[in-house]
Amino acid sequence: METNIAPELTNHYYEIAGLQLELRFPSTLNLDHILSSFISFRKEHSNGTSATVVTFMEEVVPLEEDWGTLRSDISLVWGDNFRFYEQENTFVTLIKHNIKDKQWMMKSTKDFRESRIYGKADDPRMGEFVSWLLMVVFGQVGLQHRLILIHASVIVYQEKQGVAFLGKSGTGKSTHSRLWLQHIPDTALLNDDNPVVRLEEDGRIMIYGTPWSGKTPCYKNKRVEFKGFVRLEQAPHNRFTWKKGMESLVTVLPSCTALRWNKDLFNAMTDTLSQLVDQVNVGHLECLPNADAAQISYKAFFEEQS
Amino acid sequence: MKLRQDLVLRKVGDDYIMVDPSQGMVDLSKVHTLNKTAAWLWEQLVGKEISVEHIAELLFERYDVSQEKAVEDAESLMQEFEKAGLLEA
Repeated sequence: METNIAPELTNHYYEIAGLQLELRFPSTLNLDHILSSFISFRKEHSNGTSATVVTFMEEVVPLEEDWGTLRSDISLVWGDNFRFYEQENTFVTLIKHNIKDKQWMMKSTKDFRESRIYGKADDPRMGEFVSWLLMVVFGQVGLQHRLILIHASVIVYQEKQGVAFLGKSGTGKSTHSRLWLQHIPDTALLNDDNPVVRLEEDGRIMIYGTPWSGKTPCYKNKRVEFKGFVRLEQAPHNRFTWKKGMESLVTVLPSCTALRWNKDLFNAMTDTLSQLVDQVNVGHLECLPNADAAQISYKAFFEEQS
Repeated sequence: MKLRQDLVLRKVGDDYIMVDPSQGMVDLSKVHTLNKTAAWLWEQLVGKEISVEHIAELLFERYDVSQEKAVEDAESLMQEFEKAGLLEA
């Protein structure tokens, strides 16, 4: 995809989980105002190559018949107010609105290294939509750098080790994190919805805060050593079990983001995930929303540690 | 007949697995598990034309089994592969 660098655009740089994100937005827009959750990730200058470049075009969204094959309008991770379309060389992400004029749309190369966002800058929800579209981009680009954007709430213990709680929306990820904060000393929230797990060059596995954190404003530009995943399931009791091998992969897979129509991206994700679950601990917790549940998952990770 | 080339065999812990991305509207992927023998066979056979005879031959050469047993196992393996949707359409 060709990118027009019109003179009225300003380049903005952000670093998220070690990857540089470059935004080219009209100079008249105050990006810190629009993308306030990104402020702590901002960098003054480019530091080498951008992993992805996203340009904002204040243009009318093209007509629906041009978008290509509809791939999905439902996702466990992304919510349901969008559609993905696939064309020969591009993916189209659409944020639906019953008034055509208020739809937002993004066209991306198949590797998501270049995207253009189309929408209206006077839309009061611009920040929310652009942030969400950037999350889609980042999730896919990251896969090419051994990094996975996951749907989880993350607690940091003693400022140095992170544990990610997984579960479908409404399972109680945030609640379980809050129980840790209340009942386990020396704990803090790193991110409440979309952290990044990364297999570093030196073989270590780290978990990062991001500008995306669901309903909880917790946008920490920070990373810690990653201890593992716990999938939560509501139950009338508390019971913790470790998962190994295939089961550990199946436990984590539904909380990972990859557009499964792109074979390269999907395989990149599965590769990274296979290595991750071999190196970190994966557990499953049937739980009540009580202090005992937090104690059980805490003890599993930090006392009886395998 | 060939094995599906879009599936990648991986070892996770002690398990051999293949993740099959669903192509439907909902993102529910399937995970196939193979035992050690099936995984070894998959590696030998990937990209090649496969048949019961060929599989039986491989089993007979590698394992201490009779020819009859090798053919029997090859047949059931082919059926398993087909049932699980692991063969190319």
